[in-house]
Amino acid sequence: MSIEFFLDGKAVVAQAGQTIMDVAKANGINIPGLCGEKRISKTTSCFVCVVKDKKTGKFLPSCSAMPTAGQDIDVTGADVLEMRRTALNLLLSEHNGDCEAPCTVACPAHAAVEEYVRAAANGDFKGALAIIKERIPMPITVGRVCPRFCEKQCRRNVNGEPVAINEFKRLAADVCYDSYMEDLPELTGRKVAVIGGGPAGLAAAYYLRLKGIQTVIFEQMPKAGGMTRYGIPEYRLPKNLLDKEIAHFEKMGIGFSFGKTLGKDIQLDELQKQFDAVIVAIGCWQASGMRCEGEELATPGIDFLRNVIENDCQAPNPGKVLVVGGGNTAMDCLRTSIRLGSPDVTCIYRRTEAEMPAEKIEIHEAKEEGVNFQFLTAPVKLEKRDGKLVLTCQQMVLGEPDASGRRKPVPQVGSEFEITADTVIAAIGQKTAAPAGIPVDRYGCLAVGDDRVSAGNRIYGAGDCVSGAATVVEALASGRQAAMAVARDLLDIPVETENPINVSRGKWQDLTLDELVVLRDDLSTDPREKLAYIPLEERKNSFKEVCATMTADQLTKEGKRCIECSCSDKHDCKLRQFSGDAGCKTDAYSGMRQSASYDVRHPEIIQDRGKCIKCGVCVKICKEVVNKSLLSLQKRGFASCIGTAFDQGLPLSCKECGECINACPTGALAWRKKR
Amino acid sequence: MSNIVKLNIGLASCGIAAGGEAVLEALKKATSLPIAEVGCIGHCYAEPLVEACLDDGSSVMYGNVKADEKSIANILALGENGRFEIPAKRKEKELLKVLALAGHIVPTVMDDYIANGGYEGLKKALSMTPQEVIDEVKISGLRGRGGGGFATGMKWSFLAAKPGFDKTVICNADEGDPGAFMDRSLMESVPHQVLEGMLIAAYATGASRLIIYCRAEYPLAIKHLKIAIEQINAAKLNVFADRTVEISIKEGAGAFVCGEETALIASLEGQRGMPRFRPPFPTDRGYQDKPTMINNVETFGNIPVILREGGEKFAQTGSEGGKGTKLFALAGDLKYPGLVEVPMGTTLNEIVFEIGGADPAHVKAVQTGGPSGGCIPVELFDTPVDYDSLRTLGAIMGSGGMIVIGRDRCMVETARYFLDFTHRESCGKCTFCRIGTTRMYEILERIVAGKGCEADLELLEDLGKKIKAGSLCGLGQTAPNPVLATLRFYKDEYLEHVNEHKCRAMQCNALVDIALDKDKCVKCKLCIKTCPVNAISDDFEIDPAICTRCNSCLDSCPKHAITRVAKGGKQ
Repeated sequence: MSIEFFLDGKAVVAQAGQTIMDVAKANGINIPGLCGEKRISKTTSCFVCVVKDKKTGKFLPSCSAMPTAGQDIDVTGADVLEMRRTALNLLLSEHNGDCEAPCTVACPAHAAVEEYVRAAANGDFKGALAIIKERIPMPITVGRVCPRFCEKQCRRNVNGEPVAINEFKRLAADVCYDSYMEDLPELTGRKVAVIGGGPAGLAAAYYLRLKGIQTVIFEQMPKAGGMTRYGIPEYRLPKNLLDKEIAHFEKMGIGFSFGKTLGKDIQLDELQKQFDAVIVAIGCWQASGMRCEGEELATPGIDFLRNVIENDCQAPNPGKVLVVGGGNTAMDCLRTSIRLGSPDVTCIYRRTEAEMPAEKIEIHEAKEEGVNFQFLTAPVKLEKRDGKLVLTCQQMVLGEPDASGRRKPVPQVGSEFEITADTVIAAIGQKTAAPAGIPVDRYGCLAVGDDRVSAGNRIYGAGDCVSGAATVVEALASGRQAAMAVARDLLDIPVETENPINVSRGKWQDLTLDELVVLRDDLSTDPREKLAYIPLEERKNSFKEVCATMTADQLTKEGKRCIECSCSDKHDCKLRQFSGDAGCKTDAYSGMRQSASYDVRHPEIIQDRGKCIKCGVCVKICKEVVNKSLLSLQKRGFASCIGTAFDQGLPLSCKECGECINACPTGALAWRKKR
Repeated sequence: MSNIVKLNIGLASCGIAAGGEAVLEALKKATSLPIAEVGCIGHCYAEPLVEACLDDGSSVMYGNVKADEKSIANILALGENGRFEIPAKRKEKELLKVLALAGHIVPTVMDDYIANGGYEGLKKALSMTPQEVIDEVKISGLRGRGGGGFATGMKWSFLAAKPGFDKTVICNADEGDPGAFMDRSLMESVPHQVLEGMLIAAYATGASRLIIYCRAEYPLAIKHLKIAIEQINAAKLNVFADRTVEISIKEGAGAFVCGEETALIASLEGQRGMPRFRPPFPTDRGYQDKPTMINNVETFGNIPVILREGGEKFAQTGSEGGKGTKLFALAGDLKYPGLVEVPMGTTLNEIVFEIGGADPAHVKAVQTGGPSGGCIPVELFDTPVDYDSLRTLGAIMGSGGMIVIGRDRCMVETARYFLDFTHRESCGKCTFCRIGTTRMYEILERIVAGKGCEADLELLEDLGKKIKAGSLCGLGQTAPNPVLATLRFYKDEYLEHVNEHKCRAMQCNALVDIALDKDKCVKCKLCIKTCPVNAISDDFEIDPAICTRCNSCLDSCPKHAITRVAKGGKQ
């Protein structure tokens, strides 16, 4: 017997036994629901599938409610969607798990860290490289110079050192970069000009090629690489390796046109005519001054580094060197000076070591190589006296924190003193030198829209010229983002966006050792593998790379240190998917979350209770389909949970059929070994 | 002068709790007169109660009886001391129909019940056709006393329409509201009356199974029911012409949600007590998938009355919003807490002030319907109590819990108290109830701790409405009521908490200091000795950082020199 009723005003027919959700589905309307499963009796638990009976104003769980004749059901009205969103927001508010691992979340390029670490640790370097290159098309470079955002958020920090994540990238690239080639789709005929051959421009060209879009990179310098080539010293990134890395882009068919400076050799409007789109990735190539009298007498840090690189590390001894600044460029200048034979190299920084923006490892290695540090010191005046440079400095004390959160240095009156040197290098910062005609914002950066890449009129921006001077990995991420926006606009394909829903158990800084959730049973407790440095004397006297790539054996061991934080269900978790679709927020409601207690007593199956939504589907599957009844709902209220008899864990009579795991809408039940 | 022929002593749970058993022992020691252990007459404040029945048919009652020789001797001598009279106003307002025999007969003696008209209703029913019985119930206008208020006769007709006798009638005796004790009292005092109602229902609906689902926390009720069932079986009252009705008791393990009919059935079947989506309704698919009907204890208690006096007469009592009488468990800030029975439509004023003896100057509100209900401010006490009028105020009549709230109680804290109960008692099945009520509770915790903000009030209201709309069963659908009702009538108290960090009732400990008035103080040091955390120094300074606001010092002070004051302020 069939009846007729209405879904969003459209007359539909329900057969006997059909729920509202069934009928909606048959009519092409997919109502989201977490707890429905055809083979078991109704659970009616999640209430994500609510619809509204327009006549009574009542909300009904469509997975369970049978339509009645003439009923007028609202499926997509604003208040229905609001109820749905609220149900999902409530579920998110109690969810205690990590969707993505913290390393991946921290990575500006959002690389699948856990996955490539696991692949490389298992010896599958090609597989690892493929995963890495989905997000990081310059793994040789990034594997050497990345400040490792990922490692700073690694949960292993709770008790010791983080997993040596970047070393996986470095080895995978070293081992099979040459032999690896992407599956390249056929070209679509669309052409894009990329201005700037640095990491942002290269990444943009790379990901456009993967979308079938041809690119030509216009580069002002004679070679590609941008700051990775002309800013990063040889001892950190050997240029023969960079050549190898960039050669691959040519192999992919990406065009290069060197010696082309925007505004001089090429013009934006002309490129716009010749190409379907233009990506501006001109970087930050103008050094900032020391902002004191005589600043013009100082050598700009990036100019100093570029000069050394352009002369194949054959620059003259700079004599006694003072480097003003505390960032990574300053460290590069200091260590380069040491290698050029300077007998006395000093870093002048106005705050203390704790506030230095340079990487800790860079500061440490600089110290090892003999660099002196003079903290709480700021330049006041630079002058030339008797063929020498005299830098007048002032002592500082730390005051109140400023906008950046760092304590602001305050000058001490009458504390001036002089330092004499042969070379003074200003490594204060860089900015974009945009030629006329390029739209800029008040910081001098390329003006872009809210998506951080679109500048209008088929012009897009990427890298340092949008963000200000940043890291290689950030430039690569930005380049990829620009490529996706271009592909969207030229090919009319949706932008691949990250699922905005990312529940986290919290940062390691807020967690104790006991609160770590370790689902693998072979987690190594060994300390982090050590890098093999070349002898210190060799470091000081040559531009040889300071440490070797870790060995495959080392990484096999190191890989076992990875907790594998991410959720095994992250790609097909219904809660995550529907929450993303519904525009949910993980912090819409705050309050206590589920306990992160987890059960790994069974050798194959884990129960990660913090991720359970208590729908009871697993209980019913085991009882009604598998006919075992090994799981049950326990306790009441917020403490409700799925448990086993007498809390003894899944018994031997569990045949590991996996029905419960497949039916679980989240990652609360999963195979212990990630598949 | 008359002579005592028999003594009645109230030994329902309330009597026992007040020390009735010791009084019974003392009486037994002092006299050889027959002593009847009767149930409860509803005057909790006067327990233990002893009634001396005289040879002229009258009786004298003694209240708050002590188990000492002097008190007992006073009773046996029919002394003037300790005599108990039912307050005149209560006598005038009350109408004892369901409770007529409670406290006057021995619950475990079937003949006592029969001698007072018991089982006449059943006899009359058996002389009618089942349909005639259902019609009689329909005419009476009786509606379910468990709180839902569904027409009982209609419900019966649904079950009667199902073919065969493989049907179950369940008595819902899982009385779970904090402060409610109507059903317990009925089962303890007049178990046969409840069972008679059930037997009539079985006859009328064609059921052959009767199950009483009673919370295990009611051991005396269960004991009395079990005895009564044995007596019924022995007397073959359960044997109808075409079938024998099987009567059993299932003890519930104390989950509040098992008062919901589908959860109750799941529990009966040995499953976890969790509600399921309706339809199918129990009359279509209930206990063991067979047609089933569930009525509340008090509903069954009304049935023999209806059969005895006829539906038409029954319907003459009460109001448009409900026929007959209703039992209320009166508790809270009033003089005469206890169990009362009044005609439907009696106003809150009459119940709270005239029957309950509450002080009008002191009463702020009344909470009806327990944790599922809402508060009604004293300004609206002229509201007649029935199913419909209370609902329009955001409260419900519920099963009959009625808690009087005095002016020294904080309404935010009251709401938090009820949410504390419901959020714990959620079965955990549906999202809105399990997580939503927890979030509401957390917000209330924040507010009473002085850490709330005005946006929290909007969040409470928004979430409360959504939980009502998006919960599977009555528990979640009503859980936000105490919060929404207090937000409606006492928003100013909420605003004071969040904006001024002030609790006008001086109840929220986080917003209160304890102050000692040194002018009134006589330096007796009782407070210092009493303080469990040594927060009071030898020169009578109270350290607010140590003090837990437990009120021990207030209670100890003979001069009332210590008071609760707004935090940070002086007295």
